[in-house]
Amino acid sequence: MRPLFRKIGETVRLGFSLAKTNFKLRNEGNYLGVAWYLLVPLSLFVIILLVRHAAFSDTGIEHYPVYLLIGITGFNFFRQTISLSISAIHTNGGFIKSLNGISLEAFVLSQFIESVFSHAFELALVVGAMAYFGLPIAWVIFYPLVFLTFAPFVLGLSLLFAAGGTYMRDFENVWNIAGQLLFFATPIFYVARPESFAYSANLFNPLFYFLSMARDVMLYRTVPSLWMIATLFGAGIAVLFLGMGVFGKYKGRFSELV
Amino acid sequence: MQRIVAKDISKTFHTGLRDAGVLATILFLFSGGYKKKSIDAINSVSFECSPGEVVGLIGRNGCGKSTLLRLISGIYEKDEGSLEINGRAMYINGFGIGLNQRLTMRENIYLVGAILGISRKEIAAKIPEIVEFSGLADFLDTKIFQFSSGMSARLGFSAVTSFVAERRPSIILLDEVFEAGGDAEFQKRAIGKMEDFLKGDATVMLVSHQTNVIRKYCPRTILLEKGRVLADGDTEEVVKKYEGFLASLPTGDI
Repeated sequence: MRPLFRKIGETVRLGFSLAKTNFKLRNEGNYLGVAWYLLVPLSLFVIILLVRHAAFSDTGIEHYPVYLLIGITGFNFFRQTISLSISAIHTNGGFIKSLNGISLEAFVLSQFIESVFSHAFELALVVGAMAYFGLPIAWVIFYPLVFLTFAPFVLGLSLLFAAGGTYMRDFENVWNIAGQLLFFATPIFYVARPESFAYSANLFNPLFYFLSMARDVMLYRTVPSLWMIATLFGAGIAVLFLGMGVFGKYKGRFSELV
Repeated sequence: MQRIVAKDISKTFHTGLRDAGVLATILFLFSGGYKKKSIDAINSVSFECSPGEVVGLIGRNGCGKSTLLRLISGIYEKDEGSLEINGRAMYINGFGIGLNQRLTMRENIYLVGAILGISRKEIAAKIPEIVEFSGLADFLDTKIFQFSSGMSARLGFSAVTSFVAERRPSIILLDEVFEAGGDAEFQKRAIGKMEDFLKGDATVMLVSHQTNVIRKYCPRTILLEKGRVLADGDTEEVVKKYEGFLASLPTGDI
């Protein structure tokens, strides 16, 4: 058991080191640096807000800008983590081919950590919007709990996509299309009313549960139901184990493919 | 106990449409124009190495030398046979290790150290040694895309060998490290560093195209050709066989 814990410890430590390097590289040579973390979701927020306002004068959603921002930042975290993970192995091919005994999971974990970091920046936008609309900011302290419920699912899916992306470069393009589809299918800028088709379809969408719980605590100041937390966390753990299993099964061949 | 015991190990690489994408692969398959190709990089190779032994590995380009070292180090997985490794193996190559061009020399040292599982504290303690050995003290905070290829090779070699020494491996796999970039003065220092590895108790496998280097450091040598062992034994005899083999080939095949 001790070697397993040591291995996990080494993977997490390397994951943080690589995430720090990735973060530095992402901002390297940028005049606006970390401001891009805020500008990208902010621009999408403004575009949707303007389009929505032009099409419908009344959205019927209380504090719609906050509702929208929670949706955009939550979805951004999910989409970015998967996108970065798909190319995580190819990007580090030089190291994988020439250094032995390294934990390949750490390359995926580092992309996950980097996304968590940028999500924390984006969350500042949500908090700012909450303050502007007079919503009590104190409820944000429950958000990390909601996030932790969702995190295993995203990490598990990242490992699956990283393994797939290493074998087939098409994964990147497939994800670009799937990501767009998911953006419109998930109630990010609209509400899925019960008994509607969108609601029924979203019952199978883990992002729907995550965003619903995030809005419950930050927007509606209610604690999410226990069954929702348990379902999302349980499914997340199952996907995490599946991701670890698939990644572990195929990682032995990664060095031949990069 | 032997440090390396290889019995009939084989490794095949599949080439062809691997990078072509799913759609292209399907179209090629239906068109009938696609023929699956494979290369037997290592074919039923068997040998043993004992503690403290220094074994040379020679052969023409593409004969499987680097693949064999990568199999022993665990970078590649064998397809067939059994491979027993008793101790910690470290692989060092002389072609560069994929340093990040957009990071500074200092940041790259931290990155390589972290990947090799060295703590930040230990990396910090190693930096003066790496800087001195590489002879790049004036460039510690320079991004390495501004380095020449020789400077990059010096940095990669200095960092990896320094960290490898820290981990005290019992099996050291040196892949054309004597051919590492850098000027004559650095080559001399690099050879000195390698000699330190050769002096210890570690089992060393050394790949080199320089037969004088193999003659100098390796009492035993394995000759590979098309993934098979052509000869294994006293270096002088194996090198002579290799030179005779090369001489028998038409000029274009060497």
